[in-house]
Amino acid sequence: MEHTNINVIDIDTEKAPSMTSIIWREIVRDKIALLSLIFLVIITAFVYGISLFLNQEEIVKVDLFAINQPPSSEFWLGTDYGGRDIFGQLIIGTRNSLSIGILVTLMTGIIGVVYGLVSGYYGGTIDNMMMRIVDFFLILPFLMIVIVFVAIVPKYSIWSFSLIMTAFLWMGITRIIRSKALQERELDYAQASKTLGTPDWKIMFTQVLPNLSSIIIVTMTLNLAANIGLESGLSFLGFGFPESTPSLGTLLGYARNPQTLELRWWIWLPAAVMVFLLMLAVRNVGEALKRATDARQRRG
Amino acid sequence: MALLEVKDLKVHFPIRGGILNRKIDEIKAVDGVSFSIEQGKTYGLVGESGSGKTTTGRAIIGLNHVTSGNIRFSGVDLTNLKSNRRDIRKEIQMIFQDPYSSLNPKKSVFDIVAEPLRNFERLSKVEERKRVQELLEHVGLSPESIFKYPHQFSGGQRQRIGIARAIALKPKLIIADEPVSALDVSVQAQVLNFLKDIQKDLNLTYLFISHDLGIVKHMCDEIGIMYKGRYVEEGSRDDIFYNPQHIYTKRLIAAIPDIDPFKRQKLQEWRDEVEKEYKKHYDDYFDHEGLAYGLRSISNTHLVALPQKG
Amino acid sequence: MWKFIVRRLLITMPQIILLSVLVFIMAQMMPGDALSGLIDPNIDPAAMEEQREKLGLNDPWYEQYADWITAALQGDLGQSFRFKMPVEELISQRLVNTFWLSLVTLIFTYIIAIPLGIISGRYNDTLRDQLISGYTYIGFATPLFIFALVMLWLFGYTLGWFPTGGSVEPGLDPGSFAYIMSKFNHLLLPAISMALITTVNTVQYLRSEIIDTKQKDFIITARAKGAPESRVYNKHILRNSLLPIAAYFGFEITGLIGGTVFIETIYSYPGMGLLFMESVLQRDYSVVTSVVLLFGIASVLGALLSDIILSLVDPRIRIK
Repeated sequence: MEHTNINVIDIDTEKAPSMTSIIWREIVRDKIALLSLIFLVIITAFVYGISLFLNQEEIVKVDLFAINQPPSSEFWLGTDYGGRDIFGQLIIGTRNSLSIGILVTLMTGIIGVVYGLVSGYYGGTIDNMMMRIVDFFLILPFLMIVIVFVAIVPKYSIWSFSLIMTAFLWMGITRIIRSKALQERELDYAQASKTLGTPDWKIMFTQVLPNLSSIIIVTMTLNLAANIGLESGLSFLGFGFPESTPSLGTLLGYARNPQTLELRWWIWLPAAVMVFLLMLAVRNVGEALKRATDARQRRG
Repeated sequence: MALLEVKDLKVHFPIRGGILNRKIDEIKAVDGVSFSIEQGKTYGLVGESGSGKTTTGRAIIGLNHVTSGNIRFSGVDLTNLKSNRRDIRKEIQMIFQDPYSSLNPKKSVFDIVAEPLRNFERLSKVEERKRVQELLEHVGLSPESIFKYPHQFSGGQRQRIGIARAIALKPKLIIADEPVSALDVSVQAQVLNFLKDIQKDLNLTYLFISHDLGIVKHMCDEIGIMYKGRYVEEGSRDDIFYNPQHIYTKRLIAAIPDIDPFKRQKLQEWRDEVEKEYKKHYDDYFDHEGLAYGLRSISNTHLVALPQKG
Repeated sequence: MWKFIVRRLLITMPQIILLSVLVFIMAQMMPGDALSGLIDPNIDPAAMEEQREKLGLNDPWYEQYADWITAALQGDLGQSFRFKMPVEELISQRLVNTFWLSLVTLIFTYIIAIPLGIISGRYNDTLRDQLISGYTYIGFATPLFIFALVMLWLFGYTLGWFPTGGSVEPGLDPGSFAYIMSKFNHLLLPAISMALITTVNTVQYLRSEIIDTKQKDFIITARAKGAPESRVYNKHILRNSLLPIAAYFGFEITGLIGGTVFIETIYSYPGMGLLFMESVLQRDYSVVTSVVLLFGIASVLGALLSDIILSLVDPRIRIK
């Protein structure tokens, strides 16, 4: 074989920055996001680390000799109406709130990615039908339906709670993934895969999906913040975690008693601050990720 | 027997509307196109954007739904192909217009070129890698580049990667959809000559879709001119370039730029003349919807959509 | 135009039917049935069974659904066993309170959103804009119920500026001026708490809408013609930016429903949200299902309303 007119072309060896390094650069440049990330890492390590040594049974055990005590050297953040240590509950509560937030975010993420990808990739009638279902779920009065299900589910557990939350929270990410998949499938690389004989499911999950990774990460981060808020709200109303497994919302729920709200701020205020800080920090990181993945908004 | 035979191909896209979103009208993107390509030849499909040339190519490879008509490839009808005859499809491959969007940005060159091999051939990891390296070498890229990503290559290099992917399964027919129009003029000739080289090497047949008559003259043996989904003229290269019969073809040919400055005056005069003729006879050559009439044979290679009357 | 509305209405009907089926299934899953609320539990089981048969509680589910939905359409939502009164009467008492709470909240939402959004959009990337954007950013990260708790604690209990519960001072003559003032006084803090959080969406939306409109050709033309800046804003930009905001009114309803559950619980404000929470806790299920059904229909209609307004405002939507 002879290629007189073709030389082996040498390829520029300079590597374009990878997504990970772009994201990292964006977060480091954004001081608030960096602080938020450090805060999150420390808090997460702290609550998961400490709770290994804390005995949950011990903390939620009622001690009638130490009811409603204000902060002291023995109880750093005082005790609740059952004489339970607030500080310990705060740590375990933060851990539980984070865990369920992550769990629900992952479950809604998986459903959303698969459903949105299938709907957007096929488009047409399939998409139309699948999206009408999404529309229906979207108009449901979310909070009330979840409360009713929590109230009537026979064997209520943390798992059923996260499943109920997932069942009514998967639509947001689904819509985002679907509209992105609609755009991607029109691109030549997806069309090329078809002409190369690649089956549809493989195009969806090995060709299109990698191109959605940044939007998935951004959406799931922002969802995590929202889910932490929702969980604490439901637990606050008494339809989330049971008292035996405290979450931040459980501690906040004590404030439904006017006397606790008025006179014993140490019971609920730290949890309120914690929920706020967690949500703010996760959102900060999410917004920085969003800027990193959208070149137009990048700061540097 | 021709390698590819297209008979009365129609691709219509529905326009939906109304309360129940029913079909209320349709766009006739391809409206009764017939042609055939002999093994080893290059067939050029020419037309302005929206003329249906790309849709024709995409319908042949199965990316667009065929409304009616049939497409026979090596004697097999592709229009109602069962999925278990999928392997016939591997004999037809496509080179895309845009070298930027046709390569998945998240995949390494290795994964991109190996994709068709993984679908049809069971190769060991080592064999697969060897094949990909050979293919890259064949298209003039260094075999070391297999673990790079598309964004590290120039447009011309990317188009070569696309070509390596298209020839990986040793196809018989390649549909090249404006393969060089997204490239710099300086790179275009390189890629075109390279396409000619591999045609000889691998005994390929091309369906070459382009709006650029200069390129088509350089590449093609037979040419079909499309306008609004229909053929206006079909013939050998000489028929089309030296004996154009339809006013639309004449106008296209007259529009080809010439680099010789001394001919400029003459060329301009010719263009004005063709333009005058085009305006004068437009109503004769096109029906009330502005569509071309049916083809009539004027020699055994040359077909023209001549006016119905007289 | 009308085609879009008809098509949108055609989608709405199945949505409401599906919603009612979902609510019915929920009702079926709830322990006990309509009888448990009516009859003395000490009654003879055989007589109970007879009653069940008579009331059609042993019929197949689809017949029961048909009976239930026909009754609901005629305004018969069943009996509340806690209050021993028809649910529809109970709801109509509470609905008034929620209506006023929602209305005042919406008014506050727009009172806050419109000036802030306009300032933020008109002077974007100035200090003023950054302050407002900072507020919306924090507002997005603050759960409504936590904010409401803090507001109640601070202004209700600690400072004592506002009443801390109920919808009206007891013992006042309904209809009197003092009564109305007291009602308004009780509304104020809950409504402001909710509005301060829910408004951030609207502020941000208005801001980006104005920034978008600012760069449109017709605005540049107006400026080029020498129209004064204030006229450009008041006449051209605002008119084009406020319309889409108005359209989002319908979607706000869905948000308000979730909000009232929290707000009414925290401020012990006797509206639908509190009624819902009490009924769930007391297992007064006929009330629960009715409230969910009504609020569900309200958000279906809210979305319908917004879509129709949006399609009037923005022709691009009609094409879809």
